[in-house]
Amino acid sequence: MRGPSGKRDAHTGVGVGASWRSAASRAAWFLCLWLVLAGASLDDIPAATIAVATATWTSLRLLEPGTSRRSPRAILRLALLFLYQSIVAGVDVARRALDPGLPLRPGFVAYPTRLPRGLRRNVFATLTSLLPGTVPAGEEEAQLLYHCLDVDQPVIAELDQEEAALARALYND
Amino acid sequence: MTEFLTVAVGFILAMLALGLLSILRGPGDADRVMATQLIGTGGIATLLLLGTAASIPAAIDVALTLALLATFTSIAFVKKGLSRFAADGTASTEDE
Amino acid sequence: MSLARDVMTIAAVSAGAFFFLAGTVGLLRFPDTLTRLHALTKADNLGLGLVVLGLLPQAASLRDGLKLVGIWLLGLLAGATVSQLIARAARHGQLNR
Repeated sequence: MRGPSGKRDAHTGVGVGASWRSAASRAAWFLCLWLVLAGASLDDIPAATIAVATATWTSLRLLEPGTSRRSPRAILRLALLFLYQSIVAGVDVARRALDPGLPLRPGFVAYPTRLPRGLRRNVFATLTSLLPGTVPAGEEEAQLLYHCLDVDQPVIAELDQEEAALARALYND
Repeated sequence: MTEFLTVAVGFILAMLALGLLSILRGPGDADRVMATQLIGTGGIATLLLLGTAASIPAAIDVALTLALLATFTSIAFVKKGLSRFAADGTASTEDE
Repeated sequence: MSLARDVMTIAAVSAGAFFFLAGTVGLLRFPDTLTRLHALTKADNLGLGLVVLGLLPQAASLRDGLKLVGIWLLGLLAGATVSQLIARAARHGQLNR
């Protein structure tokens, strides 16, 4: 079940101890996922071992262990903010759809982000796609383009707040 | 409880059918990818409700598989379509 | 006890069905692809979340409950990822490239 290029260590900048620790914690998460999906049974041990090992190896290849400090409390706050906003977003769309007057002022808004291009910006775009009334629709240099249901909403301020919460939770370096 | 859940299944299926009809008349490819998303969320909700109403635990696993497949289908479809456009940088350069 | 659980199920599943209704009405009424995308991803994801919330009290075991929550999280992640990909494709389509 190994990939074509073998198991050469892909991440050279990170210390060996840190990468072992993140491998162990990811393996523990995958094991929990296996137990939830397949249940605990003695007969499953070989399959579970192969699945957890393959998943851990794949995840380490696709997403190298990060170096920035993560604060559990800020992550929890980000998760709650995300949940709250996805509820507000659903209510907002429902209100507009069911309103006889169809109150829409659709358009694009450009948001100048401070996050570097790549993984961080993609995570931010994914998080903000569940904000009320906005869907990210592409990027142009240092700007993310958002399609909005109502361009009069304070979209930029909300995005700013979300970016700060994300930076506090995951990218505090 | 079973009656209520069955009614809910019927209602969500009707919404799913109406949504699919409206997507069918949509002009672009993007509208058609949205149909996959709609079947994804609506289908998962229906399967979960049905599984509980008729006590078929395996329906939950079917819903999980549907969630995975719908996601990857949409991503593959959009990526293929997007690779025609050069403007979005990294994602599309290998096709040029 | 079982009555309280049933009430919670009925309330949450009804609310979920309402958001599926709103999503479909949005699909029918909103004028273009991008606004319809809002209706589809936001309302339907909330509908799915409420249906899952409503089924949690009926789950046979803790493992079934966790599985339900896992399906909802997967759906949420899928909606968030796919919606921006579709939006990009739709925007390029609008520019007629």
